[in-house]
Amino acid sequence: MLLLLSPWIIGFCVFTAVPMVLSLYYSFTHYDILTTPRWVGLDNYRYMFGVGGLGQDPNFWLSVKNTLWIIVFGVPLRIFFGIITAMLLVRPKRGNNVYRTLFFMPSMAPKVGAALVFVYLFNPVTGPINRVLDSIPGVTAPLWFYDPSWAKPALLIMGLWGIGDAIVIYTAGLLDVPRQLYEAIAIEGANRWQRFRYVTLPMLTPVIFFTLIIGVIDGFQYFDQAFVAGNTASGQSSTLGNPQGSLLFYSLWIYQQAFVDFHMGYASALAWVLFVATMCVTAVLLLTSRRWVHYHGNLS
Amino acid sequence: MRSQWRALCALLALALVALAAGCGGSSGSSSSGGGGTAAPSEDKTPVTLTLWHPWTGDEKKIFEAQLKTFEAQYPWITVKAVGYPDSDTFDDQVIKAIKGGNGPDAVLSFGPDYDGQYCSSGLMQELSSYMDQDGVSIDQFAPAAITYTQFDDKQCMLPSLTDSFGLYYNKDMFAKAGITSPPKTMTELMDDAKKLTVKNSDGTIKVAGFVPLQDFEQLGIYDLARMWGAKFFDDNGDPVLSSDPAWASALQWQKQMIDYYGYDNIIKFNAAYGGDNEFSASNAFETGKVAMMFDGEWRTAFIKREHPELNYGTAFFPAADDHPDLYGSQRVGGTVVGIPQGSKHPDQAWLLVKFLSTDPGYITTMANQVGNVPTTVDTATSPDLKLPPTFQPFIDVWQNKDSSFFPPLTTAGRGYFLPLQQFVDKWQAGNVSDLQSGLEQVDEQIKNNLALGDQP
Repeated sequence: MLLLLSPWIIGFCVFTAVPMVLSLYYSFTHYDILTTPRWVGLDNYRYMFGVGGLGQDPNFWLSVKNTLWIIVFGVPLRIFFGIITAMLLVRPKRGNNVYRTLFFMPSMAPKVGAALVFVYLFNPVTGPINRVLDSIPGVTAPLWFYDPSWAKPALLIMGLWGIGDAIVIYTAGLLDVPRQLYEAIAIEGANRWQRFRYVTLPMLTPVIFFTLIIGVIDGFQYFDQAFVAGNTASGQSSTLGNPQGSLLFYSLWIYQQAFVDFHMGYASALAWVLFVATMCVTAVLLLTSRRWVHYHGNLS
Repeated sequence: MRSQWRALCALLALALVALAAGCGGSSGSSSSGGGGTAAPSEDKTPVTLTLWHPWTGDEKKIFEAQLKTFEAQYPWITVKAVGYPDSDTFDDQVIKAIKGGNGPDAVLSFGPDYDGQYCSSGLMQELSSYMDQDGVSIDQFAPAAITYTQFDDKQCMLPSLTDSFGLYYNKDMFAKAGITSPPKTMTELMDDAKKLTVKNSDGTIKVAGFVPLQDFEQLGIYDLARMWGAKFFDDNGDPVLSSDPAWASALQWQKQMIDYYGYDNIIKFNAAYGGDNEFSASNAFETGKVAMMFDGEWRTAFIKREHPELNYGTAFFPAADDHPDLYGSQRVGGTVVGIPQGSKHPDQAWLLVKFLSTDPGYITTMANQVGNVPTTVDTATSPDLKLPPTFQPFIDVWQNKDSSFFPPLTTAGRGYFLPLQQFVDKWQAGNVSDLQSGLEQVDEQIKNNLALGDQP
């Protein structure tokens, strides 16, 4: 039995468990990859949170704020638009597969490629979006990736373009709602909103819960789009998190510390804080889920 | 059951040993640098040297053809050149390989960014004893060479062609604006930039005289500040951006230039003509969208290929009005060569390193064909150089005693001045109310960040 499991166990140990334990150890050291790690106790964590006179990492809270922003706005919008689109997609009698394929396609685009395209679309001068906006009298088109207050919203819009995976899950969820529930509530005289509020939505909660957890975890690790957009928009020698730090997300900061500054010890500490934060948030969501997630099995 | 446990434990142990061997191989096999007792060239046993380099495409062909010349000079040495196509991750791969004990015998890298680490960690071997033995001196190169090949008093790399920076200007636009010669001072640069700028009726920019934004193509705030004589660190290694007045002067000059255009206008201009256009035929200078530009020597070759009709000149980048002595100096830095720890044939690798850094034939051929600045003092005036007159200022900048690799090398690569760039980002946008306290904060942030990598 154990022998059968051994390929996985070895893989897990070598590629997951050992690196995790090592990174926990490194998080208590100063380590530049080249020389032996030097034990510094809690110094990395003290610098991160600005306690104990080692100064304060200027980008820690900035990256936390940016990351939370993208989660707080991105995840609910994704769920909202995912459900709306899925509800529209289950309605047509014919051509269902064609529509579903069309809406799913964007999420197959590689993130980096998509980000490059959106940087072009959102270009404040040459991009088609602002050309349209500029032609409307009285509208001042935003500078998108060149303006700190519009850079994150631009990323959100890009994210909403690629919600095909969520749509597929919601479509499946919608088609799974038992017919008899709609019949029963129709007999009670419910209107469309009530049908949605008291039947569709509760029956979708397991799916919503799933996309919520996945969305939050993805949000904590937000990297590719921001990295590409921040770099491409401003050119070769760009500053990390351009414009003005508005796209400096937590994972980008880990990347900078680990692979640009060679502060592997501090990067490990950042990664562990991210890990613990993700675990805590997921645990809280799991706990609250008992109150609002309804599984089919509980119907009877 | 018990035997299964044993088998599993054995497998796990094996895996761990393999892993440990993979990461920890750095301590054992190093052959200390420069230990050869006999002069290296006396040992003529045939050997094959492995050389890693990031050249690609046509340049790779040119480079590898040059290695044949080396082999002709040293017939007992065969060079196995291994090209690594992504120069951005090249040094990462080199470091991993050296640490794993699988490093090459010699390395050629495009960027000096890692040299601080290479030298201080001993990952690249100290070359001084080889240099002494063969009479190679760092003085054979321009004074700037020392600023990016030496760290912690260890000479662990040597330069092999380089980049340097200067001013490109559009001669037709100069004639039209009645400007007779390129600016030599920062005041002249700003005055000329204003004369050369053409604005649209709504205030947006049609042609920019000079774009002072830090992320516009190659320009960094440090390139401006150094023309006021800016230093980055004091003798103790502490950043001095708030106490060296050069930084504030440069920032104020930059802000004044930005305010002339209006921040939103210059940002829009950057969005339209900067960014990805830099290394394409739609480059802003090549297409006549900017009249003056800070750029490297390679642009001469780009213009020749993409816009041969462009009537342009090159000059030194202007210096601050009160620092005329600095006119002619700028940022430099480029390809470096070295012998990694664990090199199997360090003595022969030295011959290759010596060839790549000092052989006049190699340097001039590469300068002619690849269009980089020749690094040795002798080759700078070599009659074999076949470069256009617009190239000359870049050779002179390299030779200037005040030119240097800037911001300077540290063991933390090139990321350490991110707080400065972030600050300038806000400054440019007009979001900084107190310049002095802002710079003090930058100093503190850089210092704290560097402390994360401090060694006992």
